[in-house]
Amino acid sequence: MGPETRRGYGTVIASLLAGAAVWEGAGHVASAAFWAPLSATLESVAETARNGVLVRQIMSSFQLYFSGLALAISIGAPVGMLLARVRWLRVALENYIMMLYATPMVALIPFILSMMGFGFAPKVLVVFLFAVFPVLYNTVEGARSIRPELVEVAHSFRSNEWRLWCDVMIPYTLPFMMTGVRQAIARGLVGMVAAEFFLSPSGLGQMIMMGSQNFDTAGMLGAILIIVLLGVGLMDLGRFLENRFAAWRGYNR
Amino acid sequence: MTAQVLAAATSAAPKPIWRDWIESPLFLKVAAGTIMLLLWEGVVRALAPAYVARPSGIARVFTAVISDQQFLAAAGATLSAVIAGLLVSLVLGTLVGFAMGRINMMERGLRYYVNSLFATPMIAILPLVTLWFGYSADARFAIVVFAAFFSVAINACDGARSVPLEYLEVAHSFRARPFHTLFDIIFPSSLPYLLAGIRLAAGRALIGAVVAEFFVSIPGLGYFILYNSRTFKHNEAFVAVIALVVVGVSFEALVNWLTRRYLPWARRS
Repeated sequence: MGPETRRGYGTVIASLLAGAAVWEGAGHVASAAFWAPLSATLESVAETARNGVLVRQIMSSFQLYFSGLALAISIGAPVGMLLARVRWLRVALENYIMMLYATPMVALIPFILSMMGFGFAPKVLVVFLFAVFPVLYNTVEGARSIRPELVEVAHSFRSNEWRLWCDVMIPYTLPFMMTGVRQAIARGLVGMVAAEFFLSPSGLGQMIMMGSQNFDTAGMLGAILIIVLLGVGLMDLGRFLENRFAAWRGYNR
Repeated sequence: MTAQVLAAATSAAPKPIWRDWIESPLFLKVAAGTIMLLLWEGVVRALAPAYVARPSGIARVFTAVISDQQFLAAAGATLSAVIAGLLVSLVLGTLVGFAMGRINMMERGLRYYVNSLFATPMIAILPLVTLWFGYSADARFAIVVFAAFFSVAINACDGARSVPLEYLEVAHSFRARPFHTLFDIIFPSSLPYLLAGIRLAAGRALIGAVVAEFFVSIPGLGYFILYNSRTFKHNEAFVAVIALVVVGVSFEALVNWLTRRYLPWARRS
């Protein structure tokens, strides 16, 4: 480790320490309803971890999040690839997919609430709606750029439909799909929190809500902190997946 | 054999005009749209209660809603909050992003904060923001800025780092002042990144504004949707959803057009 990198780490650590100090100090200066010191926040997180509430709420959030995300990927990816194969279907639908991709899906939450009520299914639907269009949109974008020569060569070698999918369609669109998956991971998290706020309260969203309603600022900040860490972790996972498969992209150019 | 080939050739040659017509992209798109609307109409009629939004109902109330004073005020409130918030985060985000991109100390100091807040779903801090700003339009504005700021800052930082080193060296050898280096080299060179950042920020800002209106109950398109859907006027509420889609799509189109028209050199994958 040279002096340059050592100074780099030094700055990072100093900035994190400064942030923690500001958080702690602000908690002591500001009114307890506005902000809580870092120590009180961590204590509240430790308390909820001890009595099992934290684990239960995180599991509940995860269950919702991964159900919605899995549904979005397992529907978005095959449909996207089907559109890659069937040209007329893609031409017919791509503008609508692009439109839905740009739609703020939160706007549909009140409709879902009044039609489906307060179960687990409407919440999964919200996460699904947030996450499915990035997957679909990016897979179709990948499909648009698929080179006709590849399909032609496969056809000239008398490859059947099944081999064509396995050897051309899926490998070619996978990197694009992974970009979609990365976006879906981020958007799905927003959908999860929105569903937990506005449909039946549960999970980490409920912890934030309860903290704010009971003027338990430390509890609320603790839950927000956990969501921040979760967001960072999931974002890294998404970026890892994208980079892992991005190696294939540009291979054919 | 020859007869077969001949027959195939003659049967293929005079392609009927209607085939061309059916295979034209416009026809396919319109047909797909019509089929989806008909499906929606049919499914709702057959299965859902009468208050659920359906195309014929939306068409019936559409003109009444978009000429309604209350609706126009709501749309104006949401749009102006989003645009004002975007402008503020554009200026602040660009400043912070450029500082991070050009000054190593700043980058090391702020990297973790900016990256982790970028990854945070901004609606999670909504209850906290309402504690600070009360149940008012300020809370919505704050959420819009929070939602938009970090994606602008991250992209501005990437943009400031992508400036080719030779340009900076030339500027340096001609003794350009920092001000000129910033505005004549760093800014233009990171424009494509900034536009990408704004496009991302606009989507997030719109979501932030709508969610804030749900939560805080202040006049706006989000609250319009919430209020009308609670009183079982789904058709009216859906008109506001259409307005949001139009805003989202036209912003996307505007940024795409700007990029193609003014930054054709910036084709980055």
